Amino acid sequence: MIRLICYLMGGKYMKAANFSYYEAKNIQDAIKIKANDEEAVILAGGQSLLPALNMRLSSPSCLIDISKISGLNDIIIDGDYLFIGALATHSDVMRNEIVSQKMPCLIDILKMVAHPAIRNKGTHGGSIAYGDPAAELPALAVATNAEIILSGQNGDRSINANDFYLGLFETAINQDEIVVGIKYPLLKQGQVFLFDEVCRRHGDYAMAGLIANIILSSNKVNDLKLVFFATGDKPDVADKTAKLFLQTGYDYDQLKNSLSSEIDFAGDLNSSSEMKLHLATILIKKIINKLEA
Amino acid sequence: MAANNTLSISFTVNGEKFNNVNVPSRQHLADFLRSQGFTGTHLGCEQGACGACTIEMDGKAVRSCLVLASQANGSDLKTVEGFDDKMMEQVKQSFLKHNAFQCGFCSPGMLMTTKEILLSKKKLTRDEIRSEISGNYCRCTGYQSIVDAIEECINEVN
Amino acid sequence: MDDIKVNQNPKLGSIDRPNSYIGRSLPRENAKKHLDGGGQFVDDLTLPRMVHVAFLRSPFAHAEIKSIDTKTAKLSDGVIDIFTAKEIDEVCKPWVGVLGHLGEMRSPEQSPLAKKIARWQGEPIAVVIANSRAQAEDALELIEVDWLEKDAQVDMETALDPNAVIIHPELGNNLFWTRTVNQGDVDKAFKEADAVVETTLDFARHTGVTLESRGIVADWNKAENKMTIYHNGQAPHMMQHIIAKHLDLNEGLVRIISRDVGGSFGIKVHVYPDEMAVTAISKKLGRPVKFIADRLESFTTDIHARCHKISGKLGVDKNGKILAMEIDDLSGIGPFSMYPRTSAIETNQVLNLSGAPYVIPNYKAVGTVVFQNKTPMCQYRAVGHPIAVAITEALIDKAAYKIGMDLDKIRKINFIPDNSYPNKSPSGVPLEDLSHQASMDKLLEIMDIEKFETKKKDDYQKGILSGYGVISMCEVTNPSPLFYGVGGAHISSQDGASIRLEGSGAIHLSSSITEQGQGTEAIMKQIAADQLGVKLESVRVTLGDTDATPYGGGTWASRGAGIGGEAVLKAARKLKDNILNIAAAIMQTDKESLDIEDNNVVRKNGGEGISLQKLAETVYYRGHEIPKGTNPELLATASFLIEGIPFVFTNSAMGCQVSIDQDTGIIKINKFWAVEDCGTQINPKLVEEQIRGGVIQGIGGALFEECVYDDQGNMQNATMADYLVPMAYEMPDIIVDHVTTNSGRSIIGAKGAGEAGTGGAPAVIMNAINNALKQVGAEVISQPITPEKVLKALGKI
Repeated sequence: MIRLICYLMGGKYMKAANFSYYEAKNIQDAIKIKANDEEAVILAGGQSLLPALNMRLSSPSCLIDISKISGLNDIIIDGDYLFIGALATHSDVMRNEIVSQKMPCLIDILKMVAHPAIRNKGTHGGSIAYGDPAAELPALAVATNAEIILSGQNGDRSINANDFYLGLFETAINQDEIVVGIKYPLLKQGQVFLFDEVCRRHGDYAMAGLIANIILSSNKVNDLKLVFFATGDKPDVADKTAKLFLQTGYDYDQLKNSLSSEIDFAGDLNSSSEMKLHLATILIKKIINKLEA
Repeated sequence: MAANNTLSISFTVNGEKFNNVNVPSRQHLADFLRSQGFTGTHLGCEQGACGACTIEMDGKAVRSCLVLASQANGSDLKTVEGFDDKMMEQVKQSFLKHNAFQCGFCSPGMLMTTKEILLSKKKLTRDEIRSEISGNYCRCTGYQSIVDAIEECINEVN
Repeated sequence: MDDIKVNQNPKLGSIDRPNSYIGRSLPRENAKKHLDGGGQFVDDLTLPRMVHVAFLRSPFAHAEIKSIDTKTAKLSDGVIDIFTAKEIDEVCKPWVGVLGHLGEMRSPEQSPLAKKIARWQGEPIAVVIANSRAQAEDALELIEVDWLEKDAQVDMETALDPNAVIIHPELGNNLFWTRTVNQGDVDKAFKEADAVVETTLDFARHTGVTLESRGIVADWNKAENKMTIYHNGQAPHMMQHIIAKHLDLNEGLVRIISRDVGGSFGIKVHVYPDEMAVTAISKKLGRPVKFIADRLESFTTDIHARCHKISGKLGVDKNGKILAMEIDDLSGIGPFSMYPRTSAIETNQVLNLSGAPYVIPNYKAVGTVVFQNKTPMCQYRAVGHPIAVAITEALIDKAAYKIGMDLDKIRKINFIPDNSYPNKSPSGVPLEDLSHQASMDKLLEIMDIEKFETKKKDDYQKGILSGYGVISMCEVTNPSPLFYGVGGAHISSQDGASIRLEGSGAIHLSSSITEQGQGTEAIMKQIAADQLGVKLESVRVTLGDTDATPYGGGTWASRGAGIGGEAVLKAARKLKDNILNIAAAIMQTDKESLDIEDNNVVRKNGGEGISLQKLAETVYYRGHEIPKGTNPELLATASFLIEGIPFVFTNSAMGCQVSIDQDTGIIKINKFWAVEDCGTQINPKLVEEQIRGGVIQGIGGALFEECVYDDQGNMQNATMADYLVPMAYEMPDIIVDHVTTNSGRSIIGAKGAGEAGTGGAPAVIMNAINNALKQVGAEVISQPITPEKVLKALGKI
């Protein structure tokens, strides 16, 4: 589901403009078309793309439908990683045994992503590639230092999620590339991923959300990575604040000051930047409470 | 290259076969189904937020405004007009009994969501039912009667 | 489910007799079609040669249209024509949204398409007619408009300032209407009061968000000179009159068909410029024209509601007796007063309804309504109620806190006593058959507020702020001609019903009330079958067709059961009388010895009767067998209107319990209670569902819904992802109970029940939240009460 950053000025539409539709037979086929047409757009689950098309916020020349390419929805253990194929839907992931054993946090997160019918169609890769700064999965990828696998004309490459998100809906995907999968490092001894967010309504984009990558040793937080979403123009990593927390524990005022210097909070319709800063600080407390529980 | 502004697709709706039908590539599935006379599928927002157009595609609930008709090539579709099995008849009776709809505009999507809940065989609490249907907007009922109906169905099905 | 509630009304006979359907929660068998996908909504209709339209709408809140160039757009695929105001004005005359009975209202002429100036973002300025909606939208992108953007008057609070942007220069300023009510001497009373409390509340604009958007198919048949309109409206006969008047057609040859309507809530009772343009286009082209508003259009062109800032003052003596109340309300209605009901009524209701449950000897109310460059505002479910009830009940809570009195007690000692009716509201409006005392007693009984006092203290220890509230209110229902008609509007306050026995023995009923989902068809059936003595399933109902139903007002202001239902009752009784006369003649007995039960005329003392089918066959096919001089009419028609008073009021008491997360500002409504006195409940389950749906709409206004505008008058959240309607997860279960005081204005005794939930919920929720926040000295005064506003009140941000 799309979140409209701002209401469009001018014309108002609800039926998509004309485009051509191409059902890709395999990934190379899709890459070839995309490489040669700058205005072509990849269609996977379409749950963010279709609203944009219907409202003519996006008018591509061609949709390259990759949804019927086989072999892109595997969920497997690949060495030290959990690999999730780009076309695995959110529902596939939520129902997957490997995920529930190896990365239970992902299931909790996906429960908060939109609603069942959207999750039946929306894909893991689509969410990662779209890079909505208010969405959970990009922040998860950054928090867990996941590797994003891209296929292009020159073969596959892997890029760390920390280098993948460049700005508002801007990623390191090249014109000829398609996201084919995400590799999440498997949890190490003492490691835990925790997640929380504050929404006005269940399934909405959050006013602020946090994913924490925590390393515990003898029941103490030994290392911590904090990644916020719905706070700025991309997943916001708060390393300075995490370090401060490790030193001083939870102190609202101190952490708030630190977050405010570290993240450029951008307000939206449901919460001002001030509100987001407050909630971000509170989310650290909520995560710690969860950890203690 | 097979890219085109209209496509020829084949699929089934409620078991009825549609062979080599031409569809504009830009048309979403809800508009297409409605153009074929399946007007039970309603459009409330065309951006995936209201849930009124939710139908069954290859066994799963989807928003038909967020799927292109062309993507339905080879699919088995089921719309409210085809919800006639024993379980769904029971669901309808329960909706009727609890007045779990007023104007009826949200009902096709609400029934589809209920169907998926029941097929999952999960024994949900009222709060969990509310969570499952929280993507389906109803302006009339205030939801309580819908939760009542679904709760009753869950008890009967399990 | 055959849930017998109470034998509520002795005028209707015993509930234990055969075919007694009034007062029973029977399922709406007629509505099962919706569960089979068989509803007939406007957008489901396709007619031969039908074309589609898309409107070019102003992207600016206020701008001059220097020129519109449609040349390129007209060449776009599938385009049939493109019209601007010039072409539409040839067929459709402009209108003015004023009434004559409420003092001077000033609103300019409005036409379907804006001419030189666009005055709100979303106002239509041109229309593309094409073979499909998508093709029409393609052409919209090719229309070139030379705009000169003007300063916009967005803020209602500065609309009357000397340097305000004057939206209609010919009016001199932005004032639409103002009214003052002055009863007694408030100034003197405030001086005598032991405690005086004051507050100022803000209510954001919100809108109806009917799941089915507005839609119309206009079909001009040149050969017959007949205009047929398929429309998802609430008042078919009103539309028939208006379309005939403005398109200069023979009113008798305009037919409005309103089949299933996907929710309306007052949104669909107004005359919209785009819909009028569609009728004009059909007249010009001589072909069916369809327009279905898309969701973006719904948000920027459906009427908005609320948008009030109200300050109030209440004076009480040391015992809590109210001595005086004063309110001052400001409302912004967009650039035009809506036609034909005007945009003054919400403010008028605020003035009439504030303080209405209570004895308030001195009352002063001032209402000011101004123009602004936003979407037009008009009557939406519970018109004015949320504002009136919230200001009254907020002040009463404040007074209670100030003098240290319980929240229920201060209300109880100030209620207009149940045994004192007929009486008058503080504003001077006649009130009758109300039960604030009994309803509050019932509420307290089912709610148990003692429990919440304890819970509040326990929660506070745990760091949770919890609170509760109770309120009372009056609800405007069943309007008389004194509402609109007296002011010159051609809106029928009368409704009609026609009922016939057919040759097969079946009963056919038609009514001028329409079905919007609330269950009109079901209750009409129940009344007819009950009063005639036939099985429910033998009654067939026709609604929503001006060619096939009696003339009448339609569905708005909760008038279906009380006015339309009474008409059905009267018609059914007349038909029964006719049937028994005929039967008596055939059976050679006197009428008084006969009755109708289960579709048979029976002898009260036993012995052989005659089935209605046999009787009908005799009358229709073998009329020669009936004794000469017997009236053979098996058709009866009746009408009903409320006389002598402006409205039949309903009353309601509500309570809720909330808790607030001090870290996030998120409010949880744990439970909600409502006691409604709507007189006779024809179908108690349907009444309860009206209350529940209404409460949830009220919660929407109180906590979530707001049309957000920027400083230039651009609506910022015109999508369903950004405008927050209430969804299932956040909503509470609502416990509904009843007190029954029948209306003395009719036999059926029913009052309306559709407004209270929406009218009362915002007040009780705000009071409960403030009850919780008071523990830490905080308060919220602006709706919707967002998490951010709560955190601000708590000093957290």
